[in-house]
Amino acid sequence: MPTAASWTDLHPREVGRSVRDVAHLIAFRTSAVRRPRAFAVIAAVFVGCTAAASGVPAFLEGAGSYDGYSLDALTLLPSAMAGFMLLAIASAVASGGGRELLNREHGVAFAVSPTTDHLGALLLAPLNIAWLLQAWVLLGATSYGVQRGFLPFALIGIVLWIALATAIGQVLAWTVEAIRRRHHGIAIVRGMAVVLFAVAVLLQLSGKLGTLLDAFPTTTLAAGLVNGFGGRWGVSVAVEILLILFVVALGAIPAHFAARRAPRDELRVESGNYPARRLPRSPLAALVRTDRGSVWRAVPMRRGLAVLAIGPGIVALAGGLDWSQMTILPGLVASGGALLFGVNAWCLDARGGLWRESLPVGAATVFAARAWVLAEFLLAASFVTLVLAGLRAGLPSPSELTALLCTWVVVVLQVVSSSMRWSSRRPFAVDLRSARATPAPPLVMVGYSTKLAVTTTLTSLIFSGLARTPYPEVSILVASPFLVWSLVRLLHARDSWTDPVQRATVVTTVAG
Amino acid sequence: MDSRVPVVDVKSLHVRFGQVEAVAGVDLAAYAGNSTALLGRNGAGKSTTMRVLAGVVPPTAGSAIVAGYDVRTHPLEVKRAVGYCPDVGGLVPRATPWEHLQLSARLRRLDNWEDRARDLLERFELGDVAHRVTTGFSHGMGRRLSVCLAALHEPQVLLLDEPFAGVDPIGVEATLDVVNDARSRGACVLVSTHLRELAVEACSSVLVLRGGAQVATATAGDMAGEEGARAYRSLLD
Repeated sequence: MPTAASWTDLHPREVGRSVRDVAHLIAFRTSAVRRPRAFAVIAAVFVGCTAAASGVPAFLEGAGSYDGYSLDALTLLPSAMAGFMLLAIASAVASGGGRELLNREHGVAFAVSPTTDHLGALLLAPLNIAWLLQAWVLLGATSYGVQRGFLPFALIGIVLWIALATAIGQVLAWTVEAIRRRHHGIAIVRGMAVVLFAVAVLLQLSGKLGTLLDAFPTTTLAAGLVNGFGGRWGVSVAVEILLILFVVALGAIPAHFAARRAPRDELRVESGNYPARRLPRSPLAALVRTDRGSVWRAVPMRRGLAVLAIGPGIVALAGGLDWSQMTILPGLVASGGALLFGVNAWCLDARGGLWRESLPVGAATVFAARAWVLAEFLLAASFVTLVLAGLRAGLPSPSELTALLCTWVVVVLQVVSSSMRWSSRRPFAVDLRSARATPAPPLVMVGYSTKLAVTTTLTSLIFSGLARTPYPEVSILVASPFLVWSLVRLLHARDSWTDPVQRATVVTTVAG
Repeated sequence: MDSRVPVVDVKSLHVRFGQVEAVAGVDLAAYAGNSTALLGRNGAGKSTTMRVLAGVVPPTAGSAIVAGYDVRTHPLEVKRAVGYCPDVGGLVPRATPWEHLQLSARLRRLDNWEDRARDLLERFELGDVAHRVTTGFSHGMGRRLSVCLAALHEPQVLLLDEPFAGVDPIGVEATLDVVNDARSRGACVLVSTHLRELAVEACSSVLVLRGGAQVATATAGDMAGEEGARAYRSLLD
């Protein structure tokens, strides 16, 4: 079996064909949108937010004054650009090469080349709330920091940087995926991750991280972009455009290498032996065990959880967050965790849902098991993050500890109740076998992630404020209505699931 | 007219999904110790009828009584009485065959089920993969395991939806054995398939569905051979 990329696949004629195929696939996906009006609203909101992030800060007081916050925004711009690239890399690597325009199971009947897949993944990269927020922050910081007369030119350069960083992330993601699929590839990739982590820790401990960030080429690039139209701007933009073209084309090569190798971690799960365990004591325990297996044996869940739990924890560790600031972390991690499967929780059973539904057990017990497994998944991920984040933070005060624990419980319950509600309301038939799989179509995922991010962030900010008060009991009092509200909504979700007609719709939908 | 009480008694069954009427007035009576085939083309309403009888999909109109229980009002009792092999997959992707059997045994409160489970796995040549997750299974392996799961608790009503599709001859033989075993211990068996020859071999009576409604009932003998093939073909058009 050939394992090398064939250069005929990368011939300009084939590349042109791939570009046209991307257009066909986008048209196909767009035509399959269930609610075109909602799609149009989401697109308008996306354009509106991007325009607002690019324009509104320029009209705020002090914008473009090269003083105070404006100067801070400009000074931090190179680091923010580097940070965006790191996010693009982490996001693409974690998802095994990014999202698919056409999922693998459906794609087998069509001649979709790896180049098409690569270009499709690039186009779908913005359909990710973390990517969008970071991009908007970058545009907003530029808008606030740069003089209004220079702003259009600076924004052009930043938009090009966003595209370049995303393309670089994609190339690295395909490269990592190609390595991961080699003999001993999983060990190699894990080894590389450990080394990178160790280097980052060493740099942070030795205080050289700032120096390294200053030495990043983004400093030179940002300097060329923010000083208005001129020769240096022209050179910077030309370099960006050339690099984008080069990197996008380059990405097709590792994409071909990856496509020609079997995904080893998926195969390992599928071919591994799982020795028999004792019979569970109760029906609920039996259901929980089955659901746990469905979650923890799925490659996208395991990989996603590792990134979600460790990534924010390391950032918090490096940034030296104090306990009151840490309240933001559980919401962030829980929201991300729910996006791995929770928002379409019944899809875990896939075609097995029909058989499971024929088993003699109450629908409420099935619901309780699924909600519990989702909750423990989110609690486990956020626990790891909090432990990492707390390593350098010293001992928390009683108020800080209470506020953090309250936030943790509240946001996890919020996320579980929202997820279970959406799972019954909008089920999708998806195969979570591949590391690139998502539980819902990309646009729906953007909607879910935005709702979760807004809710949990606002909640976390309330408790962040309460952590600074000397009264720990206030956090508990404030948490109570949040908990009651989320529990009521969770019970509504259970009622929806226990309705036989609604349940039959969900089960037959996820069964495909 | 049969004086016995049917184990499965369906009257004027209708199932609607939005604008689509998947089942449009099916009547069916199936008896203990008998096996009945539901024959018909794709989309004829066979699988939806089976899903109703398994308690998975509630009927929109009409009645369906299984083992003396109304599927609408007593779904749990129906599920206890039924063993169901669904038409598509029917397996939890990241659970092993043994874990499927354990789940079924626990929820059905079975005792001393392990020997029968092992025997079924061996008969269907799945013993070697009993502890591997089912995601990697071939279509035929999945079908065979689904039949094992349906038969594990020796149900009063055995519902097999497309059990022969994509299954090798050994699997077909083992499935026919399961049907015969169930029939001989007095269970009521319903087999949905579009494969006429196997339906005739497995069952004693045949119900032909077209466009969500039944178009004929016949004995297996009437549907056998060249004559049966011609009769079946004419019922499908």
